[in-house]
Amino acid sequence: MIRRALLLLALLGSASVAVAATPASRLYAAVAMTKAQRNSPTPLDSGIYVRDAAGQWTLFGPRILGVLSVARSPSHPEVMLLASADGVVRTADGGRTWRKTTGWEVADVRAFAYDAGNPDQVYAATAWGPLRSTDGGATWTLAQAGLDRLFCQTLVADTTKPGRVLLGLEHGLAVSTDGARSWQRVAFPDVTVLRLVQSAADPRLLLAATQGRGAWLSRDGGATWTATDPGSATANLYTATLAPQDPARMAVGGWGAGVRVSTDGGATWTDRTAGLPVRNVFVVAFDPDVRGRLWASTFEEGTFYSDDLGVTWRDGGLYGAYAYDFVFLPGR
Amino acid sequence: MILHPANRRRIMSLVMVAVASLPGLRAATDAEILRGYQDRQQEVLAASVAAIDPADPAKGSHFDVAACLQRDVKREAALARFMRLTSGKQDGNMFWMFPMVTVMMNGGKTLDAAARARIAELWRTYWPSRGDTENHWAMYYSSLYLAAQYAPGAGPEQWFNGRSSAENLAEARGYLEHWMDVTVTHGQGEYDSPNYIEEYVIALSLLAGWAEDVPLRLRAHQLLDYIIYDYAVESLDGYYGGAHSRIYPRQIVSPGQTPSQALAWLLFGFGERVQSGTVQLLALSGYTPPPILERIARDRSHPYVERELKRTRWRMRHAGPDSFVVGDKRTVPVYKYTYVDPDFVLGSSQGGLLQPIQQQTWSLIWKTDLPAKRAANTFFGTQPYSSPLEGTMFFNSDWDTVTDLIARSKADYDTPDKLPGGSRYEQISQQGAALVALYDIPAGSRFPLVTVFFSRDLKQVEEDASGWIFAQGGPAYIAYRPFAAGEWKPNDWTGLLRGGAGGFISTGFSDWGTGHRCYVSSALRNGYVVQVAPRRDFASYDAFKAAVRALPLRFSVAAVPEATFTTLDGHVVRARYGETPAVNGQAVDYPHWPLFDSPFGQSARGSRQLEIRHGADRLLLDFNHNARTESAVSTQP
Repeated sequence: MIRRALLLLALLGSASVAVAATPASRLYAAVAMTKAQRNSPTPLDSGIYVRDAAGQWTLFGPRILGVLSVARSPSHPEVMLLASADGVVRTADGGRTWRKTTGWEVADVRAFAYDAGNPDQVYAATAWGPLRSTDGGATWTLAQAGLDRLFCQTLVADTTKPGRVLLGLEHGLAVSTDGARSWQRVAFPDVTVLRLVQSAADPRLLLAATQGRGAWLSRDGGATWTATDPGSATANLYTATLAPQDPARMAVGGWGAGVRVSTDGGATWTDRTAGLPVRNVFVVAFDPDVRGRLWASTFEEGTFYSDDLGVTWRDGGLYGAYAYDFVFLPGR
Repeated sequence: MILHPANRRRIMSLVMVAVASLPGLRAATDAEILRGYQDRQQEVLAASVAAIDPADPAKGSHFDVAACLQRDVKREAALARFMRLTSGKQDGNMFWMFPMVTVMMNGGKTLDAAARARIAELWRTYWPSRGDTENHWAMYYSSLYLAAQYAPGAGPEQWFNGRSSAENLAEARGYLEHWMDVTVTHGQGEYDSPNYIEEYVIALSLLAGWAEDVPLRLRAHQLLDYIIYDYAVESLDGYYGGAHSRIYPRQIVSPGQTPSQALAWLLFGFGERVQSGTVQLLALSGYTPPPILERIARDRSHPYVERELKRTRWRMRHAGPDSFVVGDKRTVPVYKYTYVDPDFVLGSSQGGLLQPIQQQTWSLIWKTDLPAKRAANTFFGTQPYSSPLEGTMFFNSDWDTVTDLIARSKADYDTPDKLPGGSRYEQISQQGAALVALYDIPAGSRFPLVTVFFSRDLKQVEEDASGWIFAQGGPAYIAYRPFAAGEWKPNDWTGLLRGGAGGFISTGFSDWGTGHRCYVSSALRNGYVVQVAPRRDFASYDAFKAAVRALPLRFSVAAVPEATFTTLDGHVVRARYGETPAVNGQAVDYPHWPLFDSPFGQSARGSRQLEIRHGADRLLLDFNHNARTESAVSTQP
């Protein structure tokens, strides 16, 4: 159904008309409800919320503090991982039961990536250094060899090269070609990388969002990088996304920077914040099921989606949330 | 009047302690000290039991319940109260865990079926988060350890985190042993906090009281001795002096309203009993402090210097060139220097960002006759710094939101009139009862101020034509020489705390927060000298002032702030911002700074041994061999 809709869209030559179709995936959001948090270090609620077909969000999985992302095994869809302050929390039965699979050494997990060649090999970025698992997240080991400073909060497992992983650090980027057993520095500015994404449509294309140095593009799989979007060149960008269907479409978001969109592969960028209640954006994400649909989550002022690449926005719920990640996971 | 035997015993012990504390009179014997402690312990437990009202199941805490179960009195009422406490949605994370475990440990296997079922259900369904501070983790893992010990055969399906009791026990033990090892090897991270000492007492008294594993129980007991010594040696009548990792706005101006002061009553008999769950838990645990600790807490017959090595909280980012690695975490050494006089305590750390949010870099406290709740017996300075760099150094938060989120609970963090807090732009050098503070604040800093707090308890505050400002704090004379002019402002001049911001942190502000003022300077290159002296050393206040005026002092803030000051006891302190200070021409020996060093205790860096001394008494806490050795030789009668 989706493919047919996409084909129709392509035939019509439309770039901005959304297609209403039964989604093949569901949107999961890692959030903390911070807006009403007063006189307390603890948000009113936090965890993974999932959006149903009616647009309602409900808590999915355990209610834990500091849940920042979620992932699903590409080979075993009933296996899911939560990135939490307490460590990695895993379900092997689609969310019926959960188990923390890291020990006391692991805290502040931020992101996951599955290896392209082995679905049991999965990597995690944490504020205290990267991790690797060879059994689908059931057990984990520290993966710090070659790193001097360990903070990382984003990573990409190259979809074209098994064992190749790119890691966003406090001071630039590192790459591993041996499944996170060792790391080498990548030529990249000495800046904290806050978000790293790889294009599904053209895996040579990667986009990095940085703290204070804007967005950077690589067209050779992460070997070399160039700054893109002069309009956000000094912004703290927390989020970046590449349209899964079209490598020319990309978006970034950040604090004060709002949402910025490019439809020409990063040659030009347009501010698409108008219509959002604030310019402080922590998540942008293209919907894999609805061509042209772009999601954006603001700091505590709600989540929105646009079917015209940010020209207009519609309320997507989650008012009051501080969203850290949006993940579209296959399966309904 | 006929006194109850327990009261008679208590009065006798108070008399003995009071007599023992008088100069020239005999010291209390071990037996007398122990009896005094046991009397206070029993008083706590009796009050705990009394708090459970069979006619009203809405009254009483988990600790009150636990006391009834331990003493096997009011059992039905206690269990009814427990069921009420544990009904409905549970929250509090690790602050939920330790009260639950206290009930479980004291109720043991004799809890009724309903209570056991409730306990099992809650540990299965409520996911208490581990938190992110050292005290959070200590409480979390000590509680988890004992909860797993309580249900040794429970499988993964019976636990919130899907791990069996054996797994939880192993994880908890792994962390606790690691934490204890780091603490005695490199120093505590969340060190010497008058507020958070109670969280460490909670964690360790749980283990010392109820861990069935003998080595772990002994190790916890040792570390409890260690932390209480750490407090006792820098205290004055129970008031916690010196530099602190964390302190709240109320406690920084009212040092008697600290959890440490509540502990001081139970541990050493200072002050009065105040309601405290930590005191209850410690009393329930059966822990008895070795008498040498009370002797050290009370012996202020001579001034002494206490040097201590601590470390910063783990730095996840912005670790800095002076950081070093423990395991896979980065930290920076904290060099503490504390001058303990019979009448005051002046202590400092070297300055810089050593802890997030609530650091107190230096402080003076003095002996006071005022009730602890009323006393504001303190003098200190701060550079009111706040920044995302500080927040993201220690917290897994985003640059643009971290300050806002911190201020959601620590409302004063991002205000110009705050009093707790460390600064990147502050450097302290102390020698004896004098210190030199230097500041080099970049233009454009958020709060380019240097604030010195003048308590309402100070008498005869005088701005001298010489540039010194003199004051009397109880039996201490204080001289303060700012290097740049400032202005007087009321404390809390923004009205934030007065207006009730921050919830509990500003509660009771009208009692503890009013009547003080601050000397505030906005010069970016700045500094001051503080010289303290006991009143007993001078014939008059005027004599003190004259002596201070005559002290050689050279300073400059024209370029890099620097000062050279000759202290009242003749030492020459030379400080230049950004450089290691020198005393009498010798650079301060930070590389060889000991974990503990004073007449009362010594621990070399890396030795993992602390020898505590008083007179001929010795207590060796040996963490290499898990041994705690008390000397058999005692000079006490």
